[in-house]
Amino acid sequence: MGSAYILSQIVNGVILGSMYALIAIGFTMIYGIVRLINFAHGDIFTMGAFTTLASLALIGLPFPVALVVVVLTGALFGVVIERIAFRPMRGAPQVTGFIASLAVAIILENLLVMTISAQPRVFLVPEYLNRLVSTGVITIRVIDLAIVALAIVLMIALVFFVHFTKVGIAMRATAENYDVARLMGINIDRMIMLAFAIGSGLAAVSGLMWGSKYGQISPFMGLLPGLKAFVAAVIGGVGSIPGAVVGGYVLGLSEVLFVGLLPPEYSGYRNAFVFGALIVVLLVMPNGLLGRNTETRA
Amino acid sequence: MLRIEDVHVRRGGTHALRGISMTVNAGEIVALIGANGAGKTTTLATISGLLRPESGTLSYARCAEAAPIDIGRMRAEQIVQAGISHCPEGRQVFAALSVTENLRIGAYLRHDRAAIDADIADLQTQFPILRTRANVPGDRLSGGEQMMLVIGRALISRPKLLLLDEPSLGLAPQLVEQIFDILERLRREGMTILLVEQNAAMALDIADRAYVLEAGKIVLEGTGKDLAGNADVQRAYLGAA
Ligand SMILES: Nc1ncnc2c1ncn2[C@@H]1O[C@H](COP(=O)(O)OP(=O)(O)O)[C@@H](O)[C@H]1O
Ligand SMILES: [Mg+2]
Repeated sequence: MGSAYILSQIVNGVILGSMYALIAIGFTMIYGIVRLINFAHGDIFTMGAFTTLASLALIGLPFPVALVVVVLTGALFGVVIERIAFRPMRGAPQVTGFIASLAVAIILENLLVMTISAQPRVFLVPEYLNRLVSTGVITIRVIDLAIVALAIVLMIALVFFVHFTKVGIAMRATAENYDVARLMGINIDRMIMLAFAIGSGLAAVSGLMWGSKYGQISPFMGLLPGLKAFVAAVIGGVGSIPGAVVGGYVLGLSEVLFVGLLPPEYSGYRNAFVFGALIVVLLVMPNGLLGRNTETRA
Repeated sequence: MLRIEDVHVRRGGTHALRGISMTVNAGEIVALIGANGAGKTTTLATISGLLRPESGTLSYARCAEAAPIDIGRMRAEQIVQAGISHCPEGRQVFAALSVTENLRIGAYLRHDRAAIDADIADLQTQFPILRTRANVPGDRLSGGEQMMLVIGRALISRPKLLLLDEPSLGLAPQLVEQIFDILERLRREGMTILLVEQNAAMALDIADRAYVLEAGKIVLEGTGKDLAGNADVQRAYLGAA
């Protein structure tokens, strides 16, 4: 194994990690503010991929415009789902919300299967995104660079928003305590909506990236990335945005290196490895790598 | 400034307030005392809009010239905007927010950036720990420091009426003294305060007027001095034999 091989594996891990991290951020934001384990979050990712396909192939939008459309429709999906399926459950036990999210996931998947079919679809990106870039040591596609760069820009923007704007601080305050947040004059319904909008927008972008990278999408494509992003969020410390980012990259890198560096006969254990890693982390650090001690909302 | 009439509140199955009436006049400190579970916290939460009354009226006027408004049906956010600020029971600083972020969020409904900064600087002068510990997360503060922060966070919305729920709870005696000094200073500066306390002796000492709440009903009212001299109050709340 040459160093170029290892380097290219690391790059692949970073790309995969970027996509996990973007999904994991939404998981963690939504959990943080409504203590909901949103099983439908992976389907927002799927919807993002299909929205991209529709924007590019059906409507013929330029790729950057499609990106904006995907963020906005993803955010809209999140807000609508919150309003219809989750807000009526607010205050109910956590299991109720979880089951509601399972229902939403199944409905979204069935909707896609019925309207589009369960067959995987080919997903073509513009030619310039498939061009190769050579750095001397390794050669990668433009789309790979774009995925990582976009993910990093989005994450920096999010951290800036959450830490340095009044609305961002209000969102964190709401995540801590609804009543006290209301006493500050914060409209908590709006903050919850905003968390769903941002989290879902990012998941949808991740779906766009996934389709662009792997060239194929299907109604069930969100299942495994969704679960793994959930694992990433838990590893990082659920409720913590930096935790979700770290968890996403740790998971993406270790998954790729596990497959890439071990003999081929082990690569079938890829997913077992991911979920095994989750159990180990939780045994050693029950609050995850960067998590605070969060209890369920009273 | 605040007039409550025949207010009933239910919490779950409990009929927590059974027709209470009280008034708070501008510039007063009014104490509300009573045993655990009497309904003191419920009263404050109803005024600040966290709970809705089942019946009765709550009318509030931010100053003598303003027409009274009915706050009984208003949302908590609107009530803050109207000038009522509530320091909840148990202090409740935002644990993950820094001291300065806690203060900024207290000014959430204000949009005068420069004046907010000036008010924060002013509070930091009054309560130096708000400056020395500016970037520390709220949960790293001691109980006394948290109380300063919570009062600062309430003041920065520039309220006309301050609701305080057991500010002395769990604090060492000299810190309690300090908190009560702050309340007296606020009154001198024109603030109106509705103070809920378990520490009835100190509350009655500082209060212009006071109400005694028992099982969701007001059973006594009078000046702080009168109530402190009342034999029933002494037996029930002031630890007299
Ligand atoms: N969250 C709640 N749900 C249901 N009942 C409550 C709740 N909080 C308080 N109560 C009940 O309301 C009554 C008044 O409580 P509270 O206002 O907290 O009293 P105090 O502040 O005087 O100790 C009590 O009987 C209490 O058991
Ligand atoms: Mg109480």
